Amino acid sequence: MAHYNFTSDIAIGLEIHITLDTNSKLFCGCASKPAGNETGSYDGPNTRICPVCLGHPGSKPVLNKKAVDYALRLCSALKCRISPELIFSRKTYFYPDMAKNYQITQYEIPLGTGGKLRLGSGKEISITRVHIEEDPASLVHEGSHCLVDYNRSGVPLCEIVTEPELTSPEEAREFMKRLIAILQYLEIFESSAIIKADANISIKGTGYVRQEIKNITGFKEIERALSYEVGRQKKLFSEGRKLAQSTLGWDSGKGTTFMMRSKETEEDYGYILDSDLVKTEITGEWLSDIQKEMPELPEDKKQKFISRHGISPLDAEVISQEKKLACMFEKIAEEIDPMLAAKWLRRELVRVMNFNRQAFNGLLIDESHMIELLSMVEKKEITEQTAQKILEKLAVEPFSPIDYVKKNKLQAVSDTKELEKICIKVIDENLKVAEDYKKGNEKSLHFLVGQVMRNTKSKADPKIVNELLKRYLKTS
Amino acid sequence: MIKEFISKAQSGEIDIVEHTHKILEEAKKINKEYGYFTAITDDLALQNAKKAKEESKKEKSIRRNLLGVPLSVKDAICIKDVETTACSRILEGYKPVFNATVIEKCLMNGAVIIGKTVQDEFGFGGFSVNAGKGYNAPKNPFDRERSTGGSSGGCAGFTQKTRFTHVSLGESTGGSIAEPASFCGVVGLCPTYGRVSRYGLLDFANSLDKIGPIAKSVEDAAVLLGAIAGHDENESTSSPNPAEDYAGFAGKPVKGMKIAVIKEAFGDGVDKNIEDNIWLGIKKLEKEGAGYEEISLSFPIKYGIPAYYLLSSTEASTNLAKYCGMRYGKHELLKGNFDEYFTKVRSLNLGDEAKRRIMLGTFARMAGYRDAYYIKALKIRAKMILEYKKALSKFDALLTPTSPVLPPKFSDIEKLTPLQQYMLDVLTVGPNIAGLPHISIPTGSHKSLPIGTMLTGDHFCEDKLIQLGSALEQSQ
Repeated sequence: MAHYNFTSDIAIGLEIHITLDTNSKLFCGCASKPAGNETGSYDGPNTRICPVCLGHPGSKPVLNKKAVDYALRLCSALKCRISPELIFSRKTYFYPDMAKNYQITQYEIPLGTGGKLRLGSGKEISITRVHIEEDPASLVHEGSHCLVDYNRSGVPLCEIVTEPELTSPEEAREFMKRLIAILQYLEIFESSAIIKADANISIKGTGYVRQEIKNITGFKEIERALSYEVGRQKKLFSEGRKLAQSTLGWDSGKGTTFMMRSKETEEDYGYILDSDLVKTEITGEWLSDIQKEMPELPEDKKQKFISRHGISPLDAEVISQEKKLACMFEKIAEEIDPMLAAKWLRRELVRVMNFNRQAFNGLLIDESHMIELLSMVEKKEITEQTAQKILEKLAVEPFSPIDYVKKNKLQAVSDTKELEKICIKVIDENLKVAEDYKKGNEKSLHFLVGQVMRNTKSKADPKIVNELLKRYLKTS
Repeated sequence: MIKEFISKAQSGEIDIVEHTHKILEEAKKINKEYGYFTAITDDLALQNAKKAKEESKKEKSIRRNLLGVPLSVKDAICIKDVETTACSRILEGYKPVFNATVIEKCLMNGAVIIGKTVQDEFGFGGFSVNAGKGYNAPKNPFDRERSTGGSSGGCAGFTQKTRFTHVSLGESTGGSIAEPASFCGVVGLCPTYGRVSRYGLLDFANSLDKIGPIAKSVEDAAVLLGAIAGHDENESTSSPNPAEDYAGFAGKPVKGMKIAVIKEAFGDGVDKNIEDNIWLGIKKLEKEGAGYEEISLSFPIKYGIPAYYLLSSTEASTNLAKYCGMRYGKHELLKGNFDEYFTKVRSLNLGDEAKRRIMLGTFARMAGYRDAYYIKALKIRAKMILEYKKALSKFDALLTPTSPVLPPKFSDIEKLTPLQQYMLDVLTVGPNIAGLPHISIPTGSHKSLPIGTMLTGDHFCEDKLIQLGSALEQSQ
């Protein structure tokens, strides 16, 4: 990092840890997650452990090749150079969450180097390295006690390190979101798993004195922590105070960073090779198998949506960044006008989900619901207003939109004679408002349209109502 | 002798249970005077013996190569539910939850485990005088004022002293099988690195540790090697090469085989009486039709000691990190933070030599020193392997004394500095660093103190060592 040629006002680099979604741990046969695939299911502390992940004397690690498969997929998606052999090292430090007081990780030769990830603006962020390592146990603080749960000990992690090329906290957040999208497409990451990162940040004013914030959880928190830190560093600089290179913690509750240690006490991990593990050759055959299994990535999907379905780049971008949305779109676009589908997924569905605070992995609506709903919109059998209301209900409890419309008689009023009658009735009941419109008050027309819609229970097309009212107001 | 024992056991001439009772009784008696055992496992031995006796009555077609044979085991090898400490107080009370792979294999072959033997703490020493706090050094079977050698001192001492059929599982990192075998006048066979699974061996230095037989005869050592060699899916460094019928090579004619006598292994610092005895053996082999040539192989002798102590200590310093009084072994009163607690446990319970190796090894892997020591030692090892391979491409085995000195008196060992002690490993560290198989054969004595001749072969050429070794043994 010392040789990095900084130019921007803010320089941010990220070191991200993700849990690889394998069935068993990195170096033993223990399950790496609770039995049953339910998100958040829990089987009690220290239930998935053995002599290896407990670091018992005499136990030895054996590499889980599936974890390497997953990491290779990630390296490939990030366009990394892949090391011809996989070598593990021991990072030695004493801490109660470490079963062996050393962590098996990669040091000199990481699995992947020299990769990149493209942001929405087209800017490419360099990936310094991608490597595999084992997760330590988790510490549970209970009153004055600290308990250790080894269920997590030995779970495979992938560490992704970027060059300090991100120039704002927002960009850091975008990077994280894009990385998570890629992980979802690769199916190597359990979407409910917590994503953790260390972030280094420096500003031009101080001469890029690096501050490292450790262990931030989630991409929103990363943006928060970095924003706070930019403010703090700028303030210190404007006060003429010097900044020393240090390692900081992030207090999410208070929304502040705090000092952990200065550079002078930086730890030396005394890395050596782990000779309990043999060198694993990453053969051309292995890599070509990985290539064959590679799914489409967000960027591929986006281009396909634009070229094949003709939707706008912005809609394509938003939809492709969420795997579930993208898959849904592809299926809907076969039955429904893609432009209409894109609009409904990107705007209406996202709005309803945000309103209900729903996440995509908890989404109850699937493509069959959307196809039924949008086919009625497309054929103008229901109005957009009706469709919006149905969507809001669908998000809470799914049902067949077609049956629902029939049962509740929500078909659009397409009979113009019927509508004409209602329009005349509304004008007659609101003569003063009608007069105001004639005098040039446009808002009065909106009121009248609203009244007609209320009379039809939103089953009329507001455009038609608008035209009808205008016609009558001119003639009356 | 094992072969004879088994046929007698199968014919009923020897009652395995009675034989076991006798050797247990003898072991207790010898142990009082010589201190070879950390534990004599009566219950386990009788349980194994009863099972073996049952087996002996069954069809002989079921091959049980160690049927009813008493086996002692170096303390560093895990036996389920038997205290396993590698003679370190820091593991006091630790009973493994699993058997080492070699134990499983011996039990499958019908062996009777009679006890665990004294060693230098974690293998740190060549005289067994560094057995941990609370343990005493075992005494040489020929002179109780003298050392058994080490670190597998208890194995070698008892193998010599018992009048019954018996084999022992030793372990060598830098010479801990050959050297004590030489000092006690028995056979020590250290196999190729990876030939025997290390699963369940308490690690000293993972890239150097090898489990191997100590026995009364070359043939017995070969029988035991045949029982324990082979691939183990729980141990990544164990070789996939299939094990051979090693015992079949004992007694095979050696006519036409070629031996290289290493010039640098004689002369300065080597006891003249040892040199003379070794040459007698060489001449006898010549009579049997094996040719010899004197060659120069200075590199391992010159750089073996520093490279060995750097590599073995760096690895040991990480291996011993797990012993901190938290999960198993010796605990202390919990006071202060984890760092203070770990420090207290380690300070009180590790021996001086263990602490010396941890400090040396930690130093050699720290930033700033790592390249000069650890990395350089790795390079020396790579070059050393090439040098050996070159020599072994022209010869079936290399021949040297096992030790440059006769078994020393405890009172003399006390006077040696640690470095002087390390220097006495000069002849055994080379093959150990290079992972080459080697065997020490008792070839005579001076003033009733035994002398050992060492043969070193190419990787996975244990067969040739057994062939030559048994010729050397029979020529006595």
